[in-house]
Amino acid sequence: MSKGNDTARTPVHLYVHVPVCRLKCAYCDFFSVAVFDLPMSTAELAEALTRQAVAWSARGLDARPLETLYVGGGTPTILGPSLATLVSSLRECLGFAEGAEITIEANPDSLDDRLVDLLAEAGVTRVSLGVQSFHDDVLRLLGRPHDASRALAAARTVRESGLALSLDVMCGIPGQSMGSWVASLEYAIATGAQHVSVYPLSLESGTPMAAEVLLGRLAEPDPDVAADMMTAACEILTREGFTHYEISNYARPGFESRHNTAYWSGKEYTGVGPGAHGMLSATTARAAGLVVPDEVARVRYAIACDFTYGLDEAPRADIETLSAQEAAREDVMLGLRMMAGVTVASVEDAELTAVLERMAGLGLTECVDGRWRLTARGWLLGNEVFSAVWAGE
Amino acid sequence: MTDPALIRNFSIIAHIDHGKSTLADRILELTHTVEERDMVEQVLDSMDIERERGITIKAQAVRVMYDADDGKTYQLNLIDTPGHVDFTYEVSRSLAACEGVLLVVDAAQGVEAQTVANALMAMNAHLEIIPLINKIDLPAADPERVRHEIEEVLAVPADDAVLASGKTGQGVRDALEAVVRRVPAPAGDPDAPLKALIFDSYFDMYRGVVALVRIVDGAVSAGDKVRLLATDTTTEVEEVGVRRPANTPVGSLGVGEVGYLVTGLKDPSLVKVGDTVTLAKHGARAPLPGYRDVKPMVYTGLFPIDGDQYPDLRDALDKLRLNDPALVYEPESSHALGFGFRVGFLGLLHMEVVKERLEREFSLDLLATAPSVEYHAYLTNGQRVDVRSPQDMPDPSRLERIEEPYLMATILVPPDYIGAVMELAENRRGTFKDLQYLSATTVEMHYEIPLSELIMDFFDQLKSRTKGYASLDYEYIGYRPSELVKLDVLLAGKPVDALSFIVHKDKAYQRGKVLTEKLKAIIPRQLFEVPIQAAIGSKIISRETVSAKRKDVLAKCYGGDITRKRKLLEKQKEGKKRMKNLGSVEVPQEAFMAILKVDE
Repeated sequence: MSKGNDTARTPVHLYVHVPVCRLKCAYCDFFSVAVFDLPMSTAELAEALTRQAVAWSARGLDARPLETLYVGGGTPTILGPSLATLVSSLRECLGFAEGAEITIEANPDSLDDRLVDLLAEAGVTRVSLGVQSFHDDVLRLLGRPHDASRALAAARTVRESGLALSLDVMCGIPGQSMGSWVASLEYAIATGAQHVSVYPLSLESGTPMAAEVLLGRLAEPDPDVAADMMTAACEILTREGFTHYEISNYARPGFESRHNTAYWSGKEYTGVGPGAHGMLSATTARAAGLVVPDEVARVRYAIACDFTYGLDEAPRADIETLSAQEAAREDVMLGLRMMAGVTVASVEDAELTAVLERMAGLGLTECVDGRWRLTARGWLLGNEVFSAVWAGE
Repeated sequence: MTDPALIRNFSIIAHIDHGKSTLADRILELTHTVEERDMVEQVLDSMDIERERGITIKAQAVRVMYDADDGKTYQLNLIDTPGHVDFTYEVSRSLAACEGVLLVVDAAQGVEAQTVANALMAMNAHLEIIPLINKIDLPAADPERVRHEIEEVLAVPADDAVLASGKTGQGVRDALEAVVRRVPAPAGDPDAPLKALIFDSYFDMYRGVVALVRIVDGAVSAGDKVRLLATDTTTEVEEVGVRRPANTPVGSLGVGEVGYLVTGLKDPSLVKVGDTVTLAKHGARAPLPGYRDVKPMVYTGLFPIDGDQYPDLRDALDKLRLNDPALVYEPESSHALGFGFRVGFLGLLHMEVVKERLEREFSLDLLATAPSVEYHAYLTNGQRVDVRSPQDMPDPSRLERIEEPYLMATILVPPDYIGAVMELAENRRGTFKDLQYLSATTVEMHYEIPLSELIMDFFDQLKSRTKGYASLDYEYIGYRPSELVKLDVLLAGKPVDALSFIVHKDKAYQRGKVLTEKLKAIIPRQLFEVPIQAAIGSKIISRETVSAKRKDVLAKCYGGDITRKRKLLEKQKEGKKRMKNLGSVEVPQEAFMAILKVDE
């Protein structure tokens, strides 16, 4: 945190939210609209996002080049060539540091050779591909607009362009067998992806899939099955040379997501676009002209999910403020998501030593080499630890 | 004082939702007792719970002046009665203060269970019954069919039933005319010593206990020294008045009149429903008939979820009891739940209402243990122990025998449901006594049945198995020996006293099995495996296991998720706080009520 610095500087991590999809998936509750509901052209959307990003950086803060950029959604690739323009404009207006990580989230159905080439030219370094599964029946159940062969083709395209590839795969889906899950993982590894994210299906209220379960037309995801599948994924991926570096994330050495790691280690980041979030220290927020009460140490904001107010240069946003103690607890809570854990000193500062010792007694945490981290058992029961840490008791 | 010839005392009785309170509202408007602009719905139901649930818990009385068609002005006293089987005794005393009733029947729904029970009570009290077919403005109204039902099922002539709508006000005047013409004027001896029937009482913060009374003989004035016969209490009446519906002092109350007495007493338990008020000097010797000392039928443990609220719970109970003398309580402590009270109630509705008022009006979070009755345990040394809580049960080795309270249950039901009633009653250890056809559509059945079985959702079951047609009334018939055992529940190997209950030996295995299954479904998975066992003495009779939770983690947590997921964790934590931590096991509150529903 930049608390105490004389001149506040712009955060070096930027998230751009592209709240548009071709179709909404059955399990998704993120803010996004179908592309035919977008009240503007994709080019206009890309321009508005750029303007907002620049505006954030021009509010009395000393500009710094970006270390990481993550364009997520939604389905950013639906912007087509405008997506490459967006990245180039950000480079022009804000600049990127040497070796910056520039990630684009993509869906297999909206990613082709031409777009990948354009993105690579614009300086994109990494593509995060939401394949979810390599089985057509599972993909249909999830309401994904692509099939397995399309997913494999998209992965190959990314690899051939020389960009780093990350794949999202999903387990614990009703009807998915352990066999098909392991096969999906093996396909994922075979694509040559350097990074794999493993998510158990979670039912979010208000989604079509949650309604299907409520109506009894779909079996409820079984947490024990998900636990078995997550454990199997961990074994397979680590055996294949991946490092399990966060609850859901595996990477070959050097390919950990630097952008996401910033989220888990209390770094400031700005977010632009309807539905995007950002986090600033109180110092930075004040320097950027926000009115922040004295006792506040950290500000989180969420931009309105709206194409008028949410795309403004000074967008409407929900603000959440955290005290120094809350921020310290949040850092421990998020830091423990990473397998490397957090330092003993940061736990002491947050007055959480007793909590983590109690959790250690339950076999959920351990203190090794001056760091607190989750145990193999605590990994899958993280919420027990996180809620105790956040509550401070 | 009014000439008794110009007084009519009546009550409105009805099945729930047949429009009793709305009709009462219209009567108050028509007689200008309450002006339209001051009107709130259900004027006479003053408690929030009464208005919300559409039930009447406390009796009420209101005097209205009515200019009748015969040119005379009549004093009409409308006595509103509670309408639930828990309050049968209170209803009987309210009815004893009347000479007639308006029997309200919904023009679409027709005669229902409570209509029958109410009508029978009115008949037993020898009251004039005026049928009133209500809600005739409804599209589905069928007054002819309902008229026929009233005659057929209740044997009440319905040729001149009043047709009315509480909603539009139609027929309300006809109803009052019928009251004037058909309800007898009160008969009483103005020269005899005072006899006044107490049909309800309440506590006024500034004035103490106020009794609602009906003067049977004689008269009472402010300043009179009076005696309450049942509790042998003498006091000076501070004020006499009538309710219109606000208290309005009058000089005195004479024969047939209904009003209130400010008793000057501070202890509500001295002023009992059904008691007789007479003069301290040269008073009546014999009380009015029908008085009963009302005893709690059902006991439950009430514990604050937050132990710090124990003093607040005690204060709240003290306050509630001022207006509800039927409420009794004594301190109780539980290993599992800490300090609380064993509270006695008239029945399950009474219990629910009290619990809800405690939680709502006093902001308490309470945990209620399974209801129990009072058992009599006779020890080998001849001593008797009153067992109101399973914890009081003596060790079996010292026990000679146990007795439990029995009731004579009267069930009225259409003939089609006889089988359903028999099955339920026998399942609940009921002994069949007799069966009679009251009409082609109504059968009366009698069972002797343990009270403990009746409080286990018997009424709900009866209703659901007879599509709501059955009505239930019961009468206490005394204690009888019974083969009862105490069933204990162990969670993670530790007995949980608050989950123990007393059950008939023949049913212990089945109840134990169903209860452990229910608890398994209710208790969420924890970090460790939780065995659930049911035991009689040292013998385990059934066992289930809640397996350890293996996965509980928010897998996706990126920039946009942090606030939201943190809130989710906070919510989960809140949910946990509502649970009771027993040793290392988090137990939701429903677990303590699961015992109630182990029959099906």
